[in-house]
Amino acid sequence: MANSRAVISCYDEPMWASIRRRKWELQHCDDCSRVRYPPSPTCPHCLSMAATWKPLAGGGRIISWVVYHKQYFDDYPPPYNVVAVQLDEGPLVITNLVGDEPEGSWLDHRVEIVYAPDVRGEPLPRVRLAGR
Amino acid sequence: MTTSGLKGVGAVIGVGESDYVADHARVRAGEKPHDSYGYAAIAFSRALKDAGISRDDIDGLIVGPTVAYERVGEILGINPTWGGQQDAMLAVIEACMAIKAGLATTVALVYGNDQRSAAVQYGGPEAMGGNLFLSYVYHAPWGFTSQGALYAMMFRRFSELTGCTERHLGEVAVAQRHAASLNPGALMRKPITLDDYMASPYICAPLHLFDYCLINDGGVALIVCEAEKAKRIAARTPVTIHGVGRYDLNCGATSLEPRLLDFYRPAQEACARQVFDMAGLGPQDMDAVQVYDSFSCHVPFALEGYGYCRSGDVGRFMAEEGISLAGKLPVNTGGGHLSHSYMQGWNHQVEAVRQVRGECGPRQVEGCRFVHYNSDVAGKAVSIIYGA
Ligand SMILES: [Zn+2]
Repeated sequence: MANSRAVISCYDEPMWASIRRRKWELQHCDDCSRVRYPPSPTCPHCLSMAATWKPLAGGGRIISWVVYHKQYFDDYPPPYNVVAVQLDEGPLVITNLVGDEPEGSWLDHRVEIVYAPDVRGEPLPRVRLAGR
Repeated sequence: MTTSGLKGVGAVIGVGESDYVADHARVRAGEKPHDSYGYAAIAFSRALKDAGISRDDIDGLIVGPTVAYERVGEILGINPTWGGQQDAMLAVIEACMAIKAGLATTVALVYGNDQRSAAVQYGGPEAMGGNLFLSYVYHAPWGFTSQGALYAMMFRRFSELTGCTERHLGEVAVAQRHAASLNPGALMRKPITLDDYMASPYICAPLHLFDYCLINDGGVALIVCEAEKAKRIAARTPVTIHGVGRYDLNCGATSLEPRLLDFYRPAQEACARQVFDMAGLGPQDMDAVQVYDSFSCHVPFALEGYGYCRSGDVGRFMAEEGISLAGKLPVNTGGGHLSHSYMQGWNHQVEAVRQVRGECGPRQVEGCRFVHYNSDVAGKAVSIIYGA
């Protein structure tokens, strides 16, 4: 086995640099203002290549969640959760819920972005229940 | 729009498979009976024999994604007028397209995969498929890996919104294991109950062990022939391809939007319109359904997406109307990827053909005239209707 690792194209590099600064930024299209994820050379909505990196406000809601009972990476011993979060800016992201977990269904719970160190000690954007 | 395009253009005149059970036993004992090319060659020879034709009748060759096109042609001694590489469902469609265009008349579709003996990884640091589907590898920094987890995430939300529970989902594994128990070619033949299913360990909750497909070695081949020629040369009654459909969701694929927000429904609905229009048939005409089932939850998504039950009603449909050989709508009648063999959709085509031929013995669907095959691999919906 081995540790997990990110797929980093030349369009992803500015995002990971922003995450290392603990301020997760995504591309905002200069022409139609939509926010896109993952980073890419063009806006999928209007094909504009003009975009500006801006930090996320940090809020979102849980769309779905799973709990791993099998190990695939050295740095992720089970059990651990993975959540799909719809950011207030629009995109869906995959991350982990840290801290308290909801009783019963996790669906639609509000969350906020926090930065937790990964196995290398680098910050990784995760979420916790909002207001906890 | 009427899409009569490929209706009745091609017919399957021969099918062949390797010996899944015997080969799996040898692989588990540490042997390597064949590589992907060996399995492909075995299946091809059997398909030729089944069709009652000779290798020289073949003028088209389409190979599966796990083998190199040229090398398969070299091994099998085929210089065709049309050739290519596709997955199971698109290979069938491309064969019909080549026949319709007059580029070939008799196309061999050949697949071999030594994924078990070669220890192919479907999750973790060496996960396959990331070059084709970025979502398979992009979320690894958060520990999100393996296609099963993508489907677990999808089923969780579906379950929360529709009330299709884990126990409802268990109907799939139980029904397909029952079918496999009647299929001598199936790998997993010991029947299971819903309680066995619920007691089985989670791999990635909410999906259990029994929701995951097998991983085994094998090969599959089909011979697709121009329909009129098929009647002249085939040893047995050809099985006609009545319609095909396709609709791909690429937008938002890596962030999982079409998967998690729409359950790929728009693709299945568009694909359903195309395939049923082309065939001049509807869901009510289908005697059995084969669903690409790398994970059990493909089945409820497909049953709703293709109109076999009302939207939001599939949990009740599976539990009360039934999807086993004894139920209202037999699904994956050979055991599917969960219990028969994981041949990435190829064995489903063979099972569809054999059901229409009426040669399935104890698992035969009585009076089977039409079989609908469908798949939704990463939101690429494809359908084929086979019939007499
Ligand atoms: Zn734009």
